[in-house]
Amino acid sequence: MSYQLDNKPDNRVLVVGGGMGGIRTMLDLAESGHSVVLVDSARSIGGLMTQLDRTFPTNNCDLCTLSPHLSQSGRQERIELLTMTQITGMEGERGAFSVTVKTAPRYIDMEKCTACGECFKHFPDCVRFTPGLDHRAPTCMRYPQAIPQAYSVDMAACKDLQALVDICPAKAIVPDDTEKTRTIECGSIVLAPGAEVFDPKGLDYLGYSSQPDIVTSLEYERILSASGPTSGQLVRPSDKKQPQKIAWIQCIGSRGIQKGAQSYCSSACCMFALKEAMVTKERFQDSIEATIFYMDMRTFGKDYELYLQQAKERFGVRLVRCRPHSVVHKQGAQGLEIQYLPEGQAQQVCEEFDMVVLSTGFLVGQQTREMANILGIDLDSHGFAKTGSFTPVATSKPGIYVAGLFESPKDIPETMVQGSAAACMAAGDLSAKGILSGQEEEFPPERDISGEEPRVGVFLCDCGENIGGVLDVQKLADYAQSLPGVVVAQSVGHGCSSQSMERITSIVESEKLNRVVIGGCSPRTHEKRFQDTIRKAGLNPYLLEMANIRDQITWVHAAEPELAAKKAQSLIRMAVGAAKMARPLADSTLPMNKNALVVGGGVAGMTTALELARHGHKVYLAERSAKLGGNAAKLRKTLEGEDVRAFVNGLVEKVKASENISVITGAIIVDHSGIPGMFKTGMQVGPQMFYRQVEHGVTVLATGALGNHPDQYLLGKSDSVITQLEMDSLIEDKPEKVKSWSNVVMIQCVGSRSPENPNCSRICCQAAVKNALRIVEINPDARVFVLYRDMRTFGLSEDYYQEARQKGVFFVRYSQDAPPKVDQGQDGCVKVVFNEPVIGADLEVEADCLCLSTGLVADDENNEDLALIFKLPRTKDGFFLEDHVKLRPVDLPVPGFFVAGTAHSPKNIRDSIAQAQAAASRARTMLAANEISTGAAVAKVDGQKCAACLICVRACPFGVPFINAEGYSQIDPARCRGCGVCAAACPAKAIQLMQFEDDRILAKLESLFERMVA
Amino acid sequence: MITAERKPLKEIMDYIQPFNRILLVGCNECVTVCSAGGRKEVGLLSSALQSAFLSAGKSIEIKEHTLERQCDPEYVEEIVGMMDGVDAVVSMACGCGVQEMARRYKNKPVFPAVNTKFMGASERQGVWAERCQGCGNCLLGITGGICPIARCSKQLMNGPCGGSTNGKCEISKEVDCAWQLIWDRLKMLGQEDRYLDIIPAKDWRTAGGGGPRKIVREDLAG
Amino acid sequence: MEKFEPVIVAFCCHYCAYTAADMAGSQRLDYPPNVKIIRVPCSGKVDAIHILKAFERGADGVYVAGCLEGDCHFKNGNLKAEKQVQYLRKSLDEIGIGGDRLEMVFMSAGMGEFFARKAKEMTEKIRELGPSPVHTQLEQQARQKAS
Repeated sequence: MSYQLDNKPDNRVLVVGGGMGGIRTMLDLAESGHSVVLVDSARSIGGLMTQLDRTFPTNNCDLCTLSPHLSQSGRQERIELLTMTQITGMEGERGAFSVTVKTAPRYIDMEKCTACGECFKHFPDCVRFTPGLDHRAPTCMRYPQAIPQAYSVDMAACKDLQALVDICPAKAIVPDDTEKTRTIECGSIVLAPGAEVFDPKGLDYLGYSSQPDIVTSLEYERILSASGPTSGQLVRPSDKKQPQKIAWIQCIGSRGIQKGAQSYCSSACCMFALKEAMVTKERFQDSIEATIFYMDMRTFGKDYELYLQQAKERFGVRLVRCRPHSVVHKQGAQGLEIQYLPEGQAQQVCEEFDMVVLSTGFLVGQQTREMANILGIDLDSHGFAKTGSFTPVATSKPGIYVAGLFESPKDIPETMVQGSAAACMAAGDLSAKGILSGQEEEFPPERDISGEEPRVGVFLCDCGENIGGVLDVQKLADYAQSLPGVVVAQSVGHGCSSQSMERITSIVESEKLNRVVIGGCSPRTHEKRFQDTIRKAGLNPYLLEMANIRDQITWVHAAEPELAAKKAQSLIRMAVGAAKMARPLADSTLPMNKNALVVGGGVAGMTTALELARHGHKVYLAERSAKLGGNAAKLRKTLEGEDVRAFVNGLVEKVKASENISVITGAIIVDHSGIPGMFKTGMQVGPQMFYRQVEHGVTVLATGALGNHPDQYLLGKSDSVITQLEMDSLIEDKPEKVKSWSNVVMIQCVGSRSPENPNCSRICCQAAVKNALRIVEINPDARVFVLYRDMRTFGLSEDYYQEARQKGVFFVRYSQDAPPKVDQGQDGCVKVVFNEPVIGADLEVEADCLCLSTGLVADDENNEDLALIFKLPRTKDGFFLEDHVKLRPVDLPVPGFFVAGTAHSPKNIRDSIAQAQAAASRARTMLAANEISTGAAVAKVDGQKCAACLICVRACPFGVPFINAEGYSQIDPARCRGCGVCAAACPAKAIQLMQFEDDRILAKLESLFERMVA
Repeated sequence: MITAERKPLKEIMDYIQPFNRILLVGCNECVTVCSAGGRKEVGLLSSALQSAFLSAGKSIEIKEHTLERQCDPEYVEEIVGMMDGVDAVVSMACGCGVQEMARRYKNKPVFPAVNTKFMGASERQGVWAERCQGCGNCLLGITGGICPIARCSKQLMNGPCGGSTNGKCEISKEVDCAWQLIWDRLKMLGQEDRYLDIIPAKDWRTAGGGGPRKIVREDLAG
Repeated sequence: MEKFEPVIVAFCCHYCAYTAADMAGSQRLDYPPNVKIIRVPCSGKVDAIHILKAFERGADGVYVAGCLEGDCHFKNGNLKAEKQVQYLRKSLDEIGIGGDRLEMVFMSAGMGEFFARKAKEMTEKIRELGPSPVHTQLEQQARQKAS
């Protein structure tokens, strides 16, 4: 596909930073039809995540299972990557920025470099190859074509320049490469530069610089990694022995009392440490003891509390609430000593560990601050980009947005959300609005090959020395020529060069070939390109077969060239045999319905609706109740002090005024059908329950959550007992009442983190701090007690927690086994008894007001109905379950469905808005296409053969097959993901997976063994 | 559904040892559903036989075919053209199919490749359990929908024997006591009084005690 | 008889094992050329007949390589594949080829080194077991035909 608007500045966004957030922004924009320039100062993109072994909470290598294919040609055409590049100047304003960037010389021509590694092999001192320390990174992310393959030359270290130039078989080394400056015209800018990790070298009492066995959490990650410096052996650096006792110390460089530390909480480190401890325990069970020293265990994300439970109960990770001052290494001793004060004890304990991991936090780097200065955006006191409560990704400068760690400390899922949100907002500033011209690249009509005998063309790459250095490619071509059905067999040098591709196209035409075999690199990376090549010659793209003679022969059998040559013959024979069985296939397409259905008219739903409407989509906004506003309509102030009511009212006005939004209040969803891109949803509307059906291409669920109201601590029985939500209004409406109070007690985790509702409600600690601060503001004499289990004021809200402590709010910890006791007291007061752990005694407070942090719970009844109608999975506690908790936090597992706001998990307004903007962005990536492509690798049922046995119905991991009215299995190609499990299981052999049909696989086997029977 | 299970390879090999050209016939009904003798199993058995004979130094020729249903003469007729050049037939159908095959192709030896087990239901993917013995006089209406003939090891008609412990049959802890199931179900339906009804001694003539059975529908029979 | 070079077929899932094989390539990790890879979208797609046919045609060893537990792109295709492999090992014993010649292995996309090691181990193991009886007979037939 090519788009007319591609390269015009008014359709272009500049994205700064190629970590997970920046990549998400870039892909969202490109898929929505905008063009993107991504600049990164590093030598390759990928950011911090590429250094991780496994990620929480799935403990999988998620990057390799889920990162998107960048190599899809349409997208790629709209993306330009500039690595080793920094911003040096900026002019203009929203809609028309002009940004100057400087690219450092790489001394390698990326067009010519094949990443063969010859230069690195011979000149390791001056050639850098740093795929984020991790060899998995480039292939793992599965777009080695788009990631600049990460070689670069350090000219200063190079002694014999000519020898280096000569060693490169592709003649890609450019010794006279220079620094280049260019200007990028764009409509908007997204900043996702990431953050740096705190360096504990300066803290001598931790011994990081002097003791090899004290490492940072990121270094520990590298030790665990199968491809890290120790090949996955867990050994301590000093003596290469497996450690028996490992300690993690949290909050290094965060929640700062240490030298150079930041005051905020880095948000991700508690989960990070739990993950490392769990992976360690999982691999070594009882032979290793894992201990985490922490202040507050901040597992506030979706289902993170369950993760914490699992760490404690299933893996036996030991948690000690104490922040040790130092790590001591005694002269001559092997171990590392940590002194700490166990909870509830008066005596310090001294314990020895073999290894200590420092959980270091994030901070904004100097380079990022300088960039902010150039761009003229405001930073907060920590150096993070300033944003607003209701504009979570907008910087102080119109047209410039922020995502990820530069906005505030956070983990990957939240970074992904902001990446999409920033894409949505940045796209809104483009005058072109990403409307696609819809013109397809000019392909000639497909030639009908039915009835033709196979005429196979075999094209063999030498890939420079990569293949040619081991195999005699010409000899292999001669062999291929001898195979039955082969019409042409040629060596084509670099097959993927445009010159060779043109040659292949013209030979396919002139020789009337109807099957093509490419012998070269991996189909994982190049199948699409060669499919396009033969498509240009009028052949169906699926008449292609690739033999991976580079990655799986010459790169691995160079020591045995004869056997390699024999294996190459086998692979070519197999590919030719399979190619003969290849059938023309069609990517089935259907017209895309460009409308959206947004379910839920709270802040999240209204935000998504407005964003989609702004981009020209018709939106049906279905709200169950009689009016818009949702939970936020009951809120007054955010933690930062902004006016929620005014914001919500403004939002309702905007929604009502929008021509593209059709608001349907009193709507109950009753039925749903169709495929992604062509849905039909029926609802009963209004008091009369009129039936109405809407047609839409995508669905966004923003159905919210419910304020919890547990029957605890006299809630609902005493007028003096209220929830934080009620407190929020009371402070606004009745300040005189607040002034009359002498004692206020707040109890945290009421109805959360309990056996009935194990998860953390995330918002309550912030709400308590917010309300406590407002109370002491109005009534400085009031004594406010906050009874908590862990204060989870994550990220920048930690500052407010510290402020509250400074202003005299009492924070008293209680444990789950000894909760506070509440009784009716004198004069409408409430008597609260709780244990104060520092003095070790019970205290009794006569509270004028007892305020309970009750949090949010899923709207179970409503969600259950919707989950049933839309066939969506939910978490145990009733929230909608996203497709992937790490990398796809907004997409639901059913294509075409997205989730925003508290329907996903408890969150505050700011995070709901970010997710709503992200949902709009994700929805736009789908709606941008004019057609729904359902791919070709789908399972097909032969109804004649089907015995309706239900085995496929039961075997399909996605529940796609069903027995239709005619009595045989039917598989919806739009929903089939192409795994082929049903085809393997079918006892009647009635199912075939296209592209991997049985006869095609068997042809490979037959061809492989031909020589033995012949 | 009729359930079956493939015979040990050795047994099938012994049958066809004297022959060189085999026709292997599957059935697309019950044996497909219970994964014993459908198109897929035909392919697997064919390949297994080829390999096993080849390992022993003998080459055989196997033709594969799967019929819609082997217990109907019209379907069985379909393969008449394949019989030339075949020394023996191996049927992967239930006993009914094997016999129909043998009846139609009298001059070819026909061997079974599966053991026909029972009439059962699919408990879940890959698990089938006996549910009916075809006694010819269904009692399920008075036993809470649970058959004491197929599911009680002793085929008791009026309550459990002394071997019923914690709801399990004394023959194995894996086997539910049918009468426990019946009692639980009746209780759930509020029909405990049904349990008190004495079921008279069963007339086993309908169960085959009266010789081979046959159903004739006069309106349909030609 | 010349030195026995076993023929081993590896059915590799696209997302993990096949990627790991490519990874072994980009890391230039040598492994025996005896292993021939057939790419499948998911290890759960590998049909029993593909495995039996490989042996019928003379393979000395076969292995199915899927993602690590929990990493399957299609939820649990790898575990389905494992069950099938276990079942077929018994069939191979029955046939006389020997269940030891068939294996299931799990790896992530990043485990290039493991892929190479597994290929080595499998080749060594099959070399020790010697040619499959089917392979031996097929060779013999071919020789007879030639003479």
